[in-house]
Amino acid sequence: MYRVIRKLFVLSVALVTMFGTPAASNAGTEEAKPVRMAYLQSDIHHLAFWVALERGYFEKEGVAVDVAGVFKAGPEVMTAFASGALDMAYVGEAPATTAVANGAARVVVVSQVNTEGSALVVSKEDHTLTSLKDLQEKTVAVPGHSTVQDFLLRRALDKAFEPEELSDYRVNIIVIKPPEMIGALRTGQIDAFVAWEPYPSKAFTMGVGRNLATSHDMWPEHPCCVLAADSKFADSHPERVRAVLAAHLAATRFIHDHPDEAVRIGVKYTGMDEETVKSALKNVHYTTKLNVEGEKEYVRFLTELQYIRVKNPDAFVDRFINPKFLSEIQAQ
Amino acid sequence: MKWKRALPPLCLIVIWQGLSSLGLIPSFKLPSPREVLWGLLDLSVVGMPPGRLLHDHILHSLYRVFSGYGAAAVIAIPLGIAMGWSRRLRDAFEPIVEIIRPIPPLAWIPIAILWFGIGNRSAAFIIFLGAFFPILLNTISGVVSIDRILIEAARTLNASSRDIFLKVLLPGSVPSIMTGLRIGIGIGWMTLVAAEFTGVRQGYGLGYMIMTARDIQRADEILAGMLVIGAIGLAIDVSLQFVERRLIQWR
Amino acid sequence: MALSLELVELTKVFQSDRGEESVEVIAPLNCRVEKGRFVSIVGPSGCGKTTLLRLIAGLDKASAGKIVLDGKVVTQRDERVGLVFQEFALFPWRTTIENIEMGLEIKRVPEKKRREAALDYIRAFGLSGFENKYPKELSGGMKQRVAIARTLIMNPEVVLMDEPFGALDSQTRNDLQRFLLDVWSRRGDTILFVTHNVDEAVFLSDRILVLSKRPTRILAGFEVDMPRPRDRTGTDSNRIRKAILRLLAEPGTP
Repeated sequence: MYRVIRKLFVLSVALVTMFGTPAASNAGTEEAKPVRMAYLQSDIHHLAFWVALERGYFEKEGVAVDVAGVFKAGPEVMTAFASGALDMAYVGEAPATTAVANGAARVVVVSQVNTEGSALVVSKEDHTLTSLKDLQEKTVAVPGHSTVQDFLLRRALDKAFEPEELSDYRVNIIVIKPPEMIGALRTGQIDAFVAWEPYPSKAFTMGVGRNLATSHDMWPEHPCCVLAADSKFADSHPERVRAVLAAHLAATRFIHDHPDEAVRIGVKYTGMDEETVKSALKNVHYTTKLNVEGEKEYVRFLTELQYIRVKNPDAFVDRFINPKFLSEIQAQ
Repeated sequence: MKWKRALPPLCLIVIWQGLSSLGLIPSFKLPSPREVLWGLLDLSVVGMPPGRLLHDHILHSLYRVFSGYGAAAVIAIPLGIAMGWSRRLRDAFEPIVEIIRPIPPLAWIPIAILWFGIGNRSAAFIIFLGAFFPILLNTISGVVSIDRILIEAARTLNASSRDIFLKVLLPGSVPSIMTGLRIGIGIGWMTLVAAEFTGVRQGYGLGYMIMTARDIQRADEILAGMLVIGAIGLAIDVSLQFVERRLIQWR
Repeated sequence: MALSLELVELTKVFQSDRGEESVEVIAPLNCRVEKGRFVSIVGPSGCGKTTLLRLIAGLDKASAGKIVLDGKVVTQRDERVGLVFQEFALFPWRTTIENIEMGLEIKRVPEKKRREAALDYIRAFGLSGFENKYPKELSGGMKQRVAIARTLIMNPEVVLMDEPFGALDSQTRNDLQRFLLDVWSRRGDTILFVTHNVDEAVFLSDRILVLSKRPTRILAGFEVDMPRPRDRTGTDSNRIRKAILRLLAEPGTP
């Protein structure tokens, strides 16, 4: 019996050490420790981060930044937040919302990164598709359920069809990761896709696709990517959050003031050609202004589709978006 | 004595639940058994993505796995018997088999998408690759291990080549074929779930379900989905064992 | 139904894998087995008795010479020749009745008919009650009965038996010898029976052929003209046995 109890004890300790929360790793005064940040691979929305890195804005603000991860999709960034591997990140507002609402990670949004910047792309050859209504019975790819692109498409379809037609609009929405979308469109496996830039521009410069609608057409100024910070980190190191934020603001200004230089940096980080990046930039609105109303609409949509369960969307968004840091800097 | 085998997993679940309830294991890292059960209920009633219910995911996955697996069996068993029977055929095919066999089926995914598109045929092809080689190799070894004298006995009973194939080589290698079929479905099932991670056209499948649950950060549903995959894999193996015992009573 | 078998200058040479060396197993060999006779073949072990049967059964090809069955030269496996193996060679996945039916199944005999025929054999061969047993559940003697039934149900014109009782204990062997004679006396098959046991040959056969060491040829033929059932230890039996054993023991027999 004693041996059994001992075994059970060892098992319990093992479980706790494997899954238990590590004692506040970010506490303390080690100011030299760099801020661990992340961005998405080839996502032109995160251009401001690349600009800040390239132009040394973080150093200028007196904060060291370590690129702790380059991810393929927002959910991966949120998993990294949950495991305690990140302090701040450029990430889609959508995956951040679902992760926080479902209790997987605790982050706050401190700044907008961009609005718009996605597009609905159809095959260049297919001339029968001229409006959203033509997508009836067609197959459209989105990067994932509950993504901004998923929401954009559903919202646009809801608006495109008359209320009495709504009940029987049938558009087959499937999930394909953006790098495979262009190939799938070319081989006719899908009729259209919604993706973030630069994939729509890439499809265009490759001669495969054309935009049926940009995200500006579908929903002007819709929220897209944000700068998010781990909640504990934001509480314990507000000055470092402010420093990163200041660099982000400077970088965003730079994109507007020196578009040619921004394109060069975009080419460097995406590995895509200049023409593609240039055309992609036209569809992205780089802004730091938080779009609270858009986020509320988004939370309502996710709740409606049962992706998340939020009793009071407004209260949730007020906690999720923290404009304090931004206003503090702008007040200076 | 059978209940004793259920004891260790039960203990684990109780301790796991206990530690979760005490707050020693945060639920976003490892949801408690209770939460996993609720996740299972959510998967069955609400669905993931919402509206796409668990049983439909299971049916789609089973359909994919059995179409790929069926094709693998239909090709690998006769080919295996032929290769076991004919030295020359074995010499001709063995180098090809030896090169392709060590390639993990998942490494074929990009090629599969290129050849078959994003859909059932692509997934079935991946399963096919996973299941094919265990069935083939076990069939060959089954035929090789058949006592030559049985083939000669059949010949003295005036058996044609076709008779020898159907009445001696095939039944004689059934035990090995069954072993191959069991290994094959195991690998096929594991491969399928991974193959569905890369995308499916119909929007159904257990792998796809888990991937979606991960996209919206539902750890409870991810674990529940993993549990379902394990349980189905076990159920398939148990039923194949049953068939096996039926087929090789003579052993 | 039974017919005569004639071997004319039958020769078998085994080639080594590289084809350089060759071993002459059967020297040009001539003999004739009359219809309905029980002929035994004895000889030193490894002398090619089994090879001889395999040639006649069509499992191997002769290097030279002819096999003549009922006046016609046979060039490949002939359906009228049956073979019983020393190792029984039952199909382990088939029950007793399914093993016995195998040949008829191959012949596409309708299921009902072949089942009836098999049941007749099961009754006659003392296998009742074991119809649905698998070979692993049968004793050695029963297995060999099944194997003999499986061959005889095809009604072959020539029955070849390759040391069929060699793997059995002596009691079972004696029982099966009597059983075989009983079956043969009613059917009158032509039997070519290979054994290394001279007693067995004397007890069973009408005629005994004594073979030499490799390359095999016929040293002598003995007519066993004794009424059956024979006395295993009688003077006539002993006389023939002595003669054969002396022949086999002779040193330097080529």
